[in-house]
Amino acid sequence: MRPEFYKTLLSPFWLILLVLAVVLPPLLPSYYLHIIILTLVYVALASAWNIVGGMAGQISLAHSLFIGVGAMFSTALLLKLGINMWLGLVISAVISGVLGAIIAWIDFRFRLGHLSFVLITLAFAEMGAVVVEGWDFLGGASGLLLPRDTGNFLQFQFGGGIGAFWAMLVLAVAAILINVAILNAPLGYYLRTIRDNENAARAIGVNVLRYKIAAMVISAMLSSVIGTAYVRYLTFADPYLLISPVIVIEIVLFATVGGLGSAFGPALGAILLVPLGEILRGKLGGVLPGLHYFIYGVVVIAVILITPSGLLPLLEKWWARLRGTAPARK
Amino acid sequence: MTEFMQALAQGLLIGSTYGLLALGMGLVYGVSGVVNFSHGDFISLGMFMCLGLYSALTLDPYVSIIITVPVMTAIGAVVYWYLIRPMVGHKFLMVVQLTLGLSLVLQNGILMVFGGQPARTPSMVESKLLILGDVVVRVPHVIAFVVSFALAIGLYVMLRSTDFGRSIRAVHQNANAAALMGIDVSRVQTLTFALGIGILAIAAALLLPGTPIQPAQGLRYTVITLLVVVLGGMTNFVGIMLGGLIIGISEAFGTIYLSDTLGMLLPYGIFVLIMLFRPQGLTWSSR
Repeated sequence: MRPEFYKTLLSPFWLILLVLAVVLPPLLPSYYLHIIILTLVYVALASAWNIVGGMAGQISLAHSLFIGVGAMFSTALLLKLGINMWLGLVISAVISGVLGAIIAWIDFRFRLGHLSFVLITLAFAEMGAVVVEGWDFLGGASGLLLPRDTGNFLQFQFGGGIGAFWAMLVLAVAAILINVAILNAPLGYYLRTIRDNENAARAIGVNVLRYKIAAMVISAMLSSVIGTAYVRYLTFADPYLLISPVIVIEIVLFATVGGLGSAFGPALGAILLVPLGEILRGKLGGVLPGLHYFIYGVVVIAVILITPSGLLPLLEKWWARLRGTAPARK
Repeated sequence: MTEFMQALAQGLLIGSTYGLLALGMGLVYGVSGVVNFSHGDFISLGMFMCLGLYSALTLDPYVSIIITVPVMTAIGAVVYWYLIRPMVGHKFLMVVQLTLGLSLVLQNGILMVFGGQPARTPSMVESKLLILGDVVVRVPHVIAFVVSFALAIGLYVMLRSTDFGRSIRAVHQNANAAALMGIDVSRVQTLTFALGIGILAIAAALLLPGTPIQPAQGLRYTVITLLVVVLGGMTNFVGIMLGGLIIGISEAFGTIYLSDTLGMLLPYGIFVLIMLFRPQGLTWSSR
């Protein structure tokens, strides 16, 4: 770890946020608390995806599989076999990790190009959705309903609202910290080398297979854990939400808008877009269903056309110009 | 045996239209290297325009092509010129994400205008059947088959023997050399994209009779189109039509002989295997 890592960790900005996190939630109406929790879920998911999509530069659309396994499988284990959800969380995360490793191995073994990787992972995502909808153990097309959240921590219950907020906050912060750690660790440099030129990376002796698998497994297990926590908050395991390719496409778009490859970019995208979408849906959803997705789409197109590397680099540039210094190169 | 022939016939007829959908995408990929992830949503757009024209003017889908084709072609040209063209120099993945954003805009724009209920557009020929021995086929499928192949042949002739077709092939083979020969590459790419979207307007009308439509269907059509294009080897004209037939037939057989889930998995399974073991597509290219 380099000293910057600890410096980023201890800046006063985070302490202020922490104080806000303690003070604010009990004061907020439950509707706004819900929006904050959703935002944290997507901050965590976008950051988890960023390890593969941003740092290693592989646009994976298969992450709905990992989220879906984490959500649907742990729920099914609890309801059908009575397995404690903490254990279910671990089992699902291991399965997701294995799936991720297989996908990374396929990518390496068959030397898929960028386009082929997008297409193959999209096919896997669609297959996952078809399997879940046709498999009664996982609830089929009608989904599964979890028992009411009574706040029993040993049963992976957080007591709704504020408890869920803390659980999600921990996950989101963990996901971002993992991003920061990987970016500053050798793994992060290897991944960026592979992203920028895989052949060159191989030529200078980077073990491409090992680091691709490492990135995918970390990202997959993290996504799976977030999926389990998300479904506990929703209490309804809805296959059309949790294992549809749409959820990945949303995550990819958040990450792109914020800025791929940096530690905070994907989080920034989710922080800006999720509340925007939810508030629009709340205000206008009854009149014009679909409007919030429509606006997501417009924002994404606009951001890609104006600043293809995302909003975060743009903000950093402005900030640097404000202070009269050159921006730091990542 | 009857069941077999029935599935084969239906698969062939639907598959021809899948081939037509994919030709548009293959042409665009060949000329500008863009894979359009909003392809399926443009098909949706074509279908819902037909529905709109039916509700407003009681036009039969086959007749409303007169209006939808020019409109969709114009939309295609505008989208390419203002949205995709500025991105062509950038990384390929940004274009993918741009078209994913476009897909959200189209899908939810349709949802905002037409609502989320599944809708049907009636046509004169919708319920007519054609009986050939043991095999019963629906007339709209036959029309789709004939028109798809006629259009495919028309496109082929256009590529072979018109100036525009020759400039498309030149840009496909080597954009820099084509530019040196005085071909306006951006213009060719824009026109090809517009042509690809215009073809979708026809394909949409062909698929429409008897099919319930809803705004969220776009991604499924995108995936089917991608399957076909990859099967056909991305830019191989004959390969793509063949790929369409294979996907159509495997879908028809899958739903008849296997359980629902397995049947729906079959095309994806084929796709993944081909992607891994024959990434250049099924046909042997002459190059």
